[in-house]
Amino acid sequence: MPRRHEVPVYRPDIYSPQAILDPYPHYAKMRELGPVVWLPEHKIHALPRYAECKAVLLDDKTFVSGDGVALNAIANRLSRGTTLNSDGEDHTRRRALVAHRLTPRALRALRDVVDRQAAEIVDAALARRTVDGVEVAAALPMSVVPDLVGWPAEGRENLLRWGAATFDILGPLNGQAVRAVPAGLGMARFAHTVAKQRKVLPGSMGDDLLRAADAGELAHAECPALMIDYLAPSLDTTLSAIASALHLFATHPGQWRLLKDDPGLIPNAVNEVVRFESPLRAFSRKVARDAEVAGTALPAGSRVLVLYASANRDARAWEDPDTFDIRRDAARQLGFGHGTHGCAGQGLARLETQAMLRALVARVDKIEPAGPPEWAQNNIIHRLGRLPLELIPA
Amino acid sequence: MKISADHDRCEGHGLCTEQAPAIFELDDDAELVHRFEGTDIPPEQLAAARAAVTSCPVAALRELP
Repeated sequence: MPRRHEVPVYRPDIYSPQAILDPYPHYAKMRELGPVVWLPEHKIHALPRYAECKAVLLDDKTFVSGDGVALNAIANRLSRGTTLNSDGEDHTRRRALVAHRLTPRALRALRDVVDRQAAEIVDAALARRTVDGVEVAAALPMSVVPDLVGWPAEGRENLLRWGAATFDILGPLNGQAVRAVPAGLGMARFAHTVAKQRKVLPGSMGDDLLRAADAGELAHAECPALMIDYLAPSLDTTLSAIASALHLFATHPGQWRLLKDDPGLIPNAVNEVVRFESPLRAFSRKVARDAEVAGTALPAGSRVLVLYASANRDARAWEDPDTFDIRRDAARQLGFGHGTHGCAGQGLARLETQAMLRALVARVDKIEPAGPPEWAQNNIIHRLGRLPLELIPA
Repeated sequence: MKISADHDRCEGHGLCTEQAPAIFELDDDAELVHRFEGTDIPPEQLAAARAAVTSCPVAALRELP
């Protein structure tokens, strides 16, 4: 690799168990080092600042997803056939097969149902008063997403674990990723059975896929990967955002008061939660042709790590980035990625998180911490693992 | 300054309508309405227009010279 010695080097492993629990000090040091930083531990150029992350995400012809977005070659090989790992027309075709169901346009019909479910979840939590915020946060995605994808009732108890494992495997090949392999394979195996035995719920996205395959628009063999594509990323991520919202409003009572006084702030509050505690740490891109980012040469065939979570805390892009403030304009945050590969489920994620906040604002006077929160270990997903809270009714 | 909108790429997330309600809106079918398609953005709307471009999650909006 040419001129690597000129690129600043960051030696600590940003995927060590400790760094996974508290990544932000690492990101801050990397941003200070420069726009492109070499990580010898993972043999990859990392982009810790906002401008370069956004530029690389927009240049999807140079920085491609088709050879995988993981940090290890095995996962990149295994995840072939998913929308996440495709480019150009192939990506557009795959995305169009299911993403049309996830656009805000298509989701309008769902809004009342989701609002009602959110209200029931908050009522049930208020009845218990002291709750684990992570369980409260899991309830809405778990009641909305599997029905939408058409996953049969059996096997649902495994979905959160399988989904988390599917993400873990996309990290570097560390102990965390290796331990996740059996659960990741469990989901793949189940998806194959579901597709083969046509166990999907009628009228669901999975049903759409099988019909498209029947019509010759795609191969039947492509269906399981595409189902996982829309199921695995829709649970842990939204859970992360809702749990972080609960945590942030519990620890920032002034911000909670602002939200109570003006629920019109809810859509932007969701953007700010995703900026401040980005559910996805980072994905990689393969450099398809010799390229340059901020003066650093990136040779064709190498990989570059797009650190969404760091970009969202970059002081070059955000005033006072380590302050949680729902009044700031957080719409351009990169937590959902950006551009062609931007999260296909972000409309659904916004819908669910906004619905939870609307239900909370209407029913809860105060959210109070009831014990120390714990963060979960996952190579890709940044989320709380336990969040003791007391909910005080309005 | 003009802004082009790629209507095929637009998924109707509506972030532009929050940034620049005088320029963009979603109609009843959640299709994007761009009030200044092909014409210059009024000077007083430039800042809002640029914020709309940077906030579009699927990069369907582009600033043209």
